[in-house]
Amino acid sequence: MIFRELKELGILGINNRVGRYILRHNKRSNYPLVDNKVLTAQRAEAWGIAMPENYMIVENYGSLKNLHLKIQDYDSFVIKPANGSQGNGIIVIKEIIKEEKNGVTRVLCRRSNDKLMEIEEVKHHISGILSGLYSLAGQSDTAIIQAKIDKHPIFDNYSYGGIPDIRVIVFEGYPVMSMVRLPTKSSDGRANLHQGAIGAGINLSDGCTNNAVIKNQVVEFHPDTGHKLVGLQLPFWRESLELAAQCYDMVELGYLGVDIVLTPDKGPILLELNARPGLGIQIANLAGLVPRLEKIRPQASKNLLARERVDFSMENF
Amino acid sequence: MKKIIVLITTLLIVTPLAMLLYKSQVLNLSLLPQMVDDVWNFHLTARPKGDHTSFSFPIPKPGPGIKISDERIRSKNFEVFIDSNSDSALATWSSKEPIKQRVTYSARIDLKPLLYKNIPKDYTETYPKGLNRYLKMPILLPEDVAAINHLEKAILEGNEDKTSVVRKIYYYVEEEIQRNTSIKTIHETLNTGKGSPLIKAKLFNIMARRQKVPSRVVVMVRMPDLKSSAQAKLRFTFANEVFLNNKWIPIDTNRGYFGERPDNFMVIHRNYEEVEKIISKKRVSYAIQAERARINRFNKTEFKKEVIKSDSIFSRLSLYRLPLPLQTMFTTIMLIPIGTLVLSIARNLIGIPTFGIFTPILLTLFFKETSFGFGFLFFSIVVLIGIGERYVLDKFYLLAVPRLSIILTMVIMLMIGYSLFSTDIAFISQKHLAFFPIVIVTTNIERLSIMLTEEGLVNTLKTLFGTLVIAILGYLLYSIHALEMFMFTNPELLFTIIGLLILIGKYKGYRLSEFLRFRDLVRQKKKKSEIISNDIP
Repeated sequence: MIFRELKELGILGINNRVGRYILRHNKRSNYPLVDNKVLTAQRAEAWGIAMPENYMIVENYGSLKNLHLKIQDYDSFVIKPANGSQGNGIIVIKEIIKEEKNGVTRVLCRRSNDKLMEIEEVKHHISGILSGLYSLAGQSDTAIIQAKIDKHPIFDNYSYGGIPDIRVIVFEGYPVMSMVRLPTKSSDGRANLHQGAIGAGINLSDGCTNNAVIKNQVVEFHPDTGHKLVGLQLPFWRESLELAAQCYDMVELGYLGVDIVLTPDKGPILLELNARPGLGIQIANLAGLVPRLEKIRPQASKNLLARERVDFSMENF
Repeated sequence: MKKIIVLITTLLIVTPLAMLLYKSQVLNLSLLPQMVDDVWNFHLTARPKGDHTSFSFPIPKPGPGIKISDERIRSKNFEVFIDSNSDSALATWSSKEPIKQRVTYSARIDLKPLLYKNIPKDYTETYPKGLNRYLKMPILLPEDVAAINHLEKAILEGNEDKTSVVRKIYYYVEEEIQRNTSIKTIHETLNTGKGSPLIKAKLFNIMARRQKVPSRVVVMVRMPDLKSSAQAKLRFTFANEVFLNNKWIPIDTNRGYFGERPDNFMVIHRNYEEVEKIISKKRVSYAIQAERARINRFNKTEFKKEVIKSDSIFSRLSLYRLPLPLQTMFTTIMLIPIGTLVLSIARNLIGIPTFGIFTPILLTLFFKETSFGFGFLFFSIVVLIGIGERYVLDKFYLLAVPRLSIILTMVIMLMIGYSLFSTDIAFISQKHLAFFPIVIVTTNIERLSIMLTEEGLVNTLKTLFGTLVIAILGYLLYSIHALEMFMFTNPELLFTIIGLLILIGKYKGYRLSEFLRFRDLVRQKKKKSEIISNDIP
């Protein structure tokens, strides 16, 4: 069998992920809690889990009318669809420029990639979100305008453009594998592996990167900054893992992807959750998920606290 | 897998197969209707020249290699009499006033090739009285008789059996007389060694009759080949039949067939002498057309009778009880589950990415209802519209639903444009459902342009290619006509398909695509473990 080596390494395949883990451990009725970022934010607030501040939730086209008046109070913001996936439909505005010409105020937005957007274009983008262009199943959606997060200085040499995020796979409340996604020039500053961002595997035990890949290919140095990718020590590592483990208690999904960003001031905060986390994390770590998941299985019924579960994971993986 | 699932799956897969076995072994039903050959829609119109209150024209008659059904003769204003007592049929139209209108005859004709291999030697001396007219000698000029005598001495030995004699005459006329349509009398032919097809048939006829072999000139119509237009007017042509061993054996000195008649020739009259005047261009103007009817390749009508006669539970559940238009629809619909099977294998076992879940099946249906070339072209145009639209309408800041609706409307316009400028109108009117699949596919097309901006050209092309590959695979399956009929005849197989789908649904192993995706992981892992094992000593 050509799959023998994959099996030996314990690589988790899509069919297996869906059939044995997602379908059995994730209750369908809890999906909206992770798919809809508005609901996630509400839940997180109740649980005391830090997330980026939501400035505004746009639910209908009518509220777009006076958008420019509402946003000009902020220095920067991010627009994202509440039900988006893989970072689709997200626009980061890093600067708002007001121009006075003949008594008319013109509002321009500068995107993270330095492109300028007219306010009309911003509205158009939001109306695209509302009509469901980026939502998971194409149904109409809500747009979130939230605070732009700053990059933690540790990533200054490891990221091109956008903000890196940390993905933790949490199984039955236990962190099992993690990676940090580092934006590159070719990913257009986005932390999206499909678009060419770097995925760097992290040892759960110490928070050090152990390997890095771009689009399934192992790389040693960041293609844009030239820094060595292996051996980067992430700060707030234990806090990050505890945050991830708490998310399981919050949404009660057995197989969960938790995306965390490190802020310079508040430490790790939750960015979003994913009920169908991708499998690329195995390539980033050069390790299969199956043996780790199976190691958790007998632990699952012990009803430990998030802190204790993190202890187990840091000891074992 | 849980036992209950194994049980259900096994039942689903095995029961229909057992039913097939029961049908074929116990009820003695065939699992597929018999194939019927392509038939011809034959159409004849004729009008007498001059003032006649009655006139006759030969029409086809069933016989060896020819079956006739659905005969229709227009008889308004006329009395029609069909004389089919001889070996041929003759229709006579009569009216009180001179006939000025065209009369028509049409029929569905099934032609089979005739082939007599190894015709035995024939020493028959006397023939029944009825055959005497096929031995009668026409009146010939004395010098022609002398010339034929001379010929006979050269080619015949005098003591052979009639089969060998006929064969020798055939070889002579077929090879030595050159085809030349301007030479129209026996006399000229004997002098020049050239002759028209009719004269060659006549010469063979005379020479056979002189050797006391009953022989006749048959009037035939050569059916159009695939390339010629259906409107092409067909003309009469001629060949022979000789009576050997109590059978009429076809012989064609013009096209070189001995004991053989291919299925593109239809005999319309078996004795030219009787109709020579009737079909003469001086007396009648006529037009003959024939086109292939390919609709009923399987004999559903016969099979329906067979199913109902069996009087089992299947006869009550059979789709053959439905009215014909519904039957046609269901033959296509029954293919959809097969398409889902292909799709499930492609997506879950192989891991081919597609646009939307059922887009490939819809595309397959579109290809099948139109044609692959046309379907592919049309789909490409729809894709281009989808991409182009985004670039153009992006500037207008339109909301998504109206925008999608614009693409849909543009596709409809494309269809109208095609119908207006295409000569192939029949294609649209016959298959009124043909375009619906593409209309549904259109709604998925905008996702393509979004994907293009978000995931890049390579991923989009991969997905597009995957969609097409599955659609083409399905199309290849759908073009197996027997498969279509097999599903239609045995709809219980749908349960088997559900069983197989459960099996695929329970598959938790790797997809073929994952072998490629994780290939680098495996390679790197090996490299690392080698370094470690090298470090140890």
